[in-house]
Amino acid sequence: MTRAPLFLPGPSPVIALVLGWVVPGGGHAYAGKWGKALLFFVLITGLQVAGLVIGGGTVVVWRLWLFAQVCAGAPTLALYQLSQYFAIHSPIDWADRLHEMGTLYTAVAGLMNLLVMMDAYLRLAYPPRETEEDA
Amino acid sequence: MGEAIAGFFAHLVSLSNPLWLYYPLCAVVAVVYKATKFDDARKIALGALHFFVSVSLGMLGLGLAFYLISRYL
Repeated sequence: MTRAPLFLPGPSPVIALVLGWVVPGGGHAYAGKWGKALLFFVLITGLQVAGLVIGGGTVVVWRLWLFAQVCAGAPTLALYQLSQYFAIHSPIDWADRLHEMGTLYTAVAGLMNLLVMMDAYLRLAYPPRETEEDA
Repeated sequence: MGEAIAGFFAHLVSLSNPLWLYYPLCAVVAVVYKATKFDDARKIALGALHFFVSVSLGMLGLGLAFYLISRYL
């Protein structure tokens, strides 16, 4: 009679969650889903950079939006520093619609990364069962 | 009424309107969301297209409704 092992070898869901925050798509890369990892990295980082450019470089500042923006990963912390630098040299025009749109881009990038992080976690925590069609 | 609707669409398609930037944002949201749901590239592409079109049309309808309300009420 054979017993099931106590610890299953394989990638940890928590590490996937953390890596997904450090680099967008990092959790999927850790889980071996390289294609999706690349897709998420390009789209989420692209959205973040586009938001920064559209908003004139000052979109990641200390406001309520920051809670959503920071979900886009560790690079947001660098963008925060960059935004502080730009804000000193050119005052922020809060009424500017392009600034609003840039803020929205970076915030949505953060929320999308949160979804991607959760997906990486759940894939490893609850792996999908193979059906007869998949096999 | 017809003139108001025409004005709404004329404002919407003017290049100076930053609402143009909504479309790439919606496309990225559609692809990322569907990529978390499906593994097959074809399903992701079709699902994202469906998501993009339905959200865009829904937002357009809402925008038009609010525009007409603000103009006539």
